[in-house]
Amino acid sequence: MAAVRSQREVWTNRAAILAVLVALVVMLAPIYWITSTAFKPRNLATTVPPTVVFEPTIAPFVKLFVKRSQLREPVSEEVYDAAPWWEQMVLDGGEKVVRRGRTGEVRSSGYGKRFTNSLIVSIISTILAVSMGTLTAYGFSRFRVKGEDDLLFFILSTRMLPPVVVAIPMFLMYRTVGLNDTHLGLIILYTAFNLSFSVWIMKGFIDEIPREYEEAALVDGYTRIQAFFKIVLPEAMTGIAATAVFCFITAWNEYAFALIMTNRKAQTAPPFIPSQVGSGLPDWTVIAAGTFLFLLPVAIFTFLLRNHLLRGMSFGAIRK
Amino acid sequence: MAEIEIRNIGKFFGPVEVLKDVSMTIADGEFVVMLGESGCGKTTTLRAIAGLESVTSGKILIDGEEVQDKKASERDIAFVFQSFSLYPHMTVYENIAFPLRAVRMNASDRQAAVKEVAEILRIEPLLNRKPSALSGGDMQRVAIGRALVRRPKALLMDEPIGALDATLREQMRAEIKRLHISRGSTSVYVTHDQIEAMSLADRIVIMNDGILQQIGAPEEVYLRPANLFVAQFVGSPVMNVTDVALEGGDGGASVMIGGDKQGFHFPGQVVGHLNGAPLSLGIRPEAVLLSHDAAHGAIEVETTNVEPLGSHDIVDVRVGETVLRSRTEAGFVSGEGQKVWVGLDPLQAHFFDRDSGQALRGAN
Repeated sequence: MAAVRSQREVWTNRAAILAVLVALVVMLAPIYWITSTAFKPRNLATTVPPTVVFEPTIAPFVKLFVKRSQLREPVSEEVYDAAPWWEQMVLDGGEKVVRRGRTGEVRSSGYGKRFTNSLIVSIISTILAVSMGTLTAYGFSRFRVKGEDDLLFFILSTRMLPPVVVAIPMFLMYRTVGLNDTHLGLIILYTAFNLSFSVWIMKGFIDEIPREYEEAALVDGYTRIQAFFKIVLPEAMTGIAATAVFCFITAWNEYAFALIMTNRKAQTAPPFIPSQVGSGLPDWTVIAAGTFLFLLPVAIFTFLLRNHLLRGMSFGAIRK
Repeated sequence: MAEIEIRNIGKFFGPVEVLKDVSMTIADGEFVVMLGESGCGKTTTLRAIAGLESVTSGKILIDGEEVQDKKASERDIAFVFQSFSLYPHMTVYENIAFPLRAVRMNASDRQAAVKEVAEILRIEPLLNRKPSALSGGDMQRVAIGRALVRRPKALLMDEPIGALDATLREQMRAEIKRLHISRGSTSVYVTHDQIEAMSLADRIVIMNDGILQQIGAPEEVYLRPANLFVAQFVGSPVMNVTDVALEGGDGGASVMIGGDKQGFHFPGQVVGHLNGAPLSLGIRPEAVLLSHDAAHGAIEVETTNVEPLGSHDIVDVRVGETVLRSRTEAGFVSGEGQKVWVGLDPLQAHFFDRDSGQALRGAN
């Protein structure tokens, strides 16, 4: 509580603030770029230097969800006026919305389905990896397991091979058993991939929970499995939340396996988004819109668990 | 409430034998304190009774029924941990009600039972708090409440007040005693604090190295220690123990300490049963009597150290090669190097077989 701060301290402080600001700008720049591009009209997306001030539009998001094709010639005014507002946005861009048949429904670009696939695969594999990992970690933490160290190392070793190394053999195996391009296939893959992580992290958390809590429950008339659900699980919640966020992020962002193992039915968003770059003249605003939406679930999930996470990140250091 | 019987239990942790043939019977409603240094096996015995630890051999009976192979949850025993282990995610009320949920007691009975226990322990205002918002003493009250609410067959406590500070410990000690008297629950209490043991116990069980050393009422353990270990473990300051030589016969004997040529005279009724085996003499500081005058049978010695303790002093005197500690009134001697006369109270002397450490007692 020095009332008078030396000149040097003041400057150190200012330098630190400046450094943090620079770091912040560098790190947030890509996110700003994606977000701003997602709301730009197409003609402003690729200007040099970049447009900073513009009138935001949601046209990229509309285009993201519908199948479009190039207009050969401008549509007549009657047709334009008859079209709903979102279709007018597409027409403004020199494209038309592809419909199935004369009165049929609007055809989807496929992004929605890819996004749903991502959600299904990520959520289910996260639930599986975290629940199986927690149970395994509990076993390792509380019981005398023969060859515990070797087993734990073996579990960790499954993560040592980079995906590109195992992708091809995995693809051949999956094709043989008919798991390629299925949700189940990806779920199994991501669960297996995250399980080792989940076991290791959860073991650390469960080790921190005093055994006495369970022993108290045991003498109070509960079975071990009841004690696990009533005492250990609530106590391990911060750890579970932290592990779940990590597993979800890994599964959500996974690219290599998704690219190789899926093509239509079970394709997730990561391999789909860049695939749009290749078809015709890339519409960067649409790609940015897809990327922007893709960022949201992780952000929301992390935000919802933020209280648990903050405690979880300290890895039990605060607990007495 | 129930009687607990332990028959010849043994326990190995890997190659380490932590309990060796321990047997005892704890009567219905009795308060038994297991006393010993850490690692002596007292906690393991307690956990074995609770079912938190299996035994390698032997039997444990609760109300005549063998339980050594039963799960902890089937033994109907309550356990209070040193760390309290209150469930942090539950309120005090939920903590106390937790054992009642295990037996699926209905909500209104549950509420009544929790309220009753809370009243006894004077923790009613705390029922809606989380354990983290409680003081150490209150945490322990809640832990005891959680143990008692189910009316278990026995209450086991593992150093329940060891984690509290000194004042609170004294207060909780009195409270545990009051609670035991009012509820009459069969209680087994583990501690390394002999004051706790002496003040709480109906009987004390003293253990060392996994071996039961002595069971007895506090005064019995203090006045008639079964062996050297008990003699030196119980009592503060520690009992003087020294090798002695004996000269004389039935009419009395001269007891020589520390190779000193002069002996202390002991009457025949005290030494008559000793058969000539190598001896150790144990004598508590309060039975080492100092005086400023040459009393009969006393030896002139020099003080080597004085510890003033307020209510009394502990004075060290040198007898031959041995230092005896004496408990005197405060200010009896002014400092070290002072000449005093020392005598021993033969009626408070304990003789031990030097090799086996067992107490040697006459017929009386």
